Amino acid sequence: MMHTEILDPSGHRAPIESAKNQAADTVLGIAGFGPRAARASRMFDILVVVAVVLLFTGAIHLHTMLLAGDWDMFTDWKDRQYWPLVMPVVLVMFPAALQAVFWNYFRLPIGATVGATCLMLAVAITRPMQFVVWTDYPLNMVLPSQMIAGAIVMDVFLLIFRNGLFTAIFGGFAFAFLYYPSNYTILAPFYVPTSQQGMMASMADLIGYVYPRSATPEYIRIIERGTLRTFGDSASWVSALFSGFICIFMHFIWWKLGMVMSSAKFLPNNTKVMAMMGIKKTA
Amino acid sequence: MTIIHALRRIGLRLAAVVGLGLLSVSSAMAHGERAQEPYLRTRTVQFYDVQYDKSHIAVNEQFTVTGKFRLMQDWPDAVSHPDIVFLSTYSPGPMVTRVESYLNGMPARQSFSKLELGRDYDFKVVLKGRVPGRYHIHPMLSIKGSGPLAGPGQWIEISGSKADFLQPVTTMTGIQVDNLETYGTSRALGWYAVWIVLAAFWLLFWLARPLLIPRWIALQKGREDVLVTGRDLAVGIALGVLVVAISFGGYAYAKKQYPYVVPLQAGTNKVDPLPKGHSDIEIKVTKSTYDVPGRSMRIVAQITNSGTEPLSILEFTTANVRFINQQSPSAAGAVHASFPKDLVARGGLVLSDARPIQPGETREIKIDATDAMWERERLVSFLTDVDSKFGGLLFFVNPTGERQHAEIGGPILPVFTEL
Repeated sequence: MMHTEILDPSGHRAPIESAKNQAADTVLGIAGFGPRAARASRMFDILVVVAVVLLFTGAIHLHTMLLAGDWDMFTDWKDRQYWPLVMPVVLVMFPAALQAVFWNYFRLPIGATVGATCLMLAVAITRPMQFVVWTDYPLNMVLPSQMIAGAIVMDVFLLIFRNGLFTAIFGGFAFAFLYYPSNYTILAPFYVPTSQQGMMASMADLIGYVYPRSATPEYIRIIERGTLRTFGDSASWVSALFSGFICIFMHFIWWKLGMVMSSAKFLPNNTKVMAMMGIKKTA
Repeated sequence: MTIIHALRRIGLRLAAVVGLGLLSVSSAMAHGERAQEPYLRTRTVQFYDVQYDKSHIAVNEQFTVTGKFRLMQDWPDAVSHPDIVFLSTYSPGPMVTRVESYLNGMPARQSFSKLELGRDYDFKVVLKGRVPGRYHIHPMLSIKGSGPLAGPGQWIEISGSKADFLQPVTTMTGIQVDNLETYGTSRALGWYAVWIVLAAFWLLFWLARPLLIPRWIALQKGREDVLVTGRDLAVGIALGVLVVAISFGGYAYAKKQYPYVVPLQAGTNKVDPLPKGHSDIEIKVTKSTYDVPGRSMRIVAQITNSGTEPLSILEFTTANVRFINQQSPSAAGAVHASFPKDLVARGGLVLSDARPIQPGETREIKIDATDAMWERERLVSFLTDVDSKFGGLLFFVNPTGERQHAEIGGPILPVFTEL
């Protein structure tokens, strides 16, 4: 940072020059924006923010539904093994790409939080509309998970390291590892046991049984495999750790993808292409 | 004035378009079961003796669907065997809730494994009215790898108010839940609000400043120091620590609040089929055709009665469609009052020889099942199947009214001209 201090003969900073310097040291001052340009720029900011929210609210929701689907859709799908493993791996993708774009072009460490908030906005619209209003399912059957906790921490790691690689290593891992505890607080009541027809069922299982889903037979929820049961009650933490490991690589890949997708590339023209398009080469 | 006229004209046209659109809207009358290929419906699961104990209920009132099904021995090669199945119901959403379900008397909250072909199973599903309206409800068996197969559906009328619906539950830890529908919802919404507030703070902390173009220019000029300051870093770290503290603190609090929790319960149970009843019937299909213009299935079969009592053919059923031999003395009581009438063929079953088959006798009988239902239920696309075959159950009755049934099936030839 360059400081230019103008002092008066007595050695004190001149008030007018100081104010000018302070103004010059702001973002707008450095950009050379006067008040009108600043207002126009702010209007542009608002338009872009609205566009980003609309675009990524739809895109991240579509992405999550396609790749994670029922794991996020239904409360009785949030199992202890695969839910903490699969969900962060799916969820980290867009936030990582957004981090790359926001950071590399604007030095804004908010990309992951933008992604997480957009998804939250999307599910806040779709779950009540699709399931409660349209098809009469109770809201507690379709409670979504949230990734805001992990996203904020991932943004903070980017702010600290100012580097994609280290953000992937520490931020990507933290994103996944925080997913399970920060969502368990929401979902803990649904793992309380109850008895149904002489068989034990969690409250989530009971909700899934009581409110029939014609196209969702119970057997498609049979996914747990034996090996992780060795860890008994800690299976979720093992999954969270493994998910963190995967998310390091996933973040790295999607950071790169974010950069590629936000770059404009032009193919060089040549005489052959010009001829195909009916453009005659001028002399 | 001109503008008002123009607006009125546009309004009238819009209303006409909307009105015409509404005229063409009709409510769904079924759940797509007719869209399933005929070989699935005629050669896999044959539902029979299905009964609904009520057709009009109030909100919170229960009703029961009972019946049996046969897993056909001639199971199609293209369909996975019933190694894992789940007993359920088809309904347009949770207009009814499921109270209990049983397969051969065993609780059917979970799935069942290794069901046997050629054997019968008994089912019972208890449902409860939730949302007022008129709904088509089916019993259903989902087969892993094959999909759902629906039994005969019945219209159920639910009266009352949805606001009165209650689903009280007591957990094994003694928590009294007044209504399962709202359990845990306010807690979840509260936690979502906490995270949204934190996210909003972080976003507004950055978005309140000059954003895109000036930041980009400043970055191009190498003034990153103005874009991210020491104060930003301090606020970020404080927020990060707060988020981690809330995450693990909330987790610890939830663990303390709910010390006894269980993982999601999912798995299969084993159930034995119904005991094999005494079967005195052997059926050998010698020829079967489907008369396309006549909408008639004609089966020629050699039927042997190896029992000690004469047996009469009472009914042929396939894919929930029932053809009753009206000449049989037991025909009057063959169809339960609650069975959907639209699945009973008006023409019934016509036999070339309706006399009882005597003990030890083998007789060749031509069985004629004619009805437009073959077309209406979309059961005749034999030309599109990779193995053009039919299947079904043939019911017999002895002089005392006792029923027996046997599978009937084999290759079938479509005929495009009258034979």
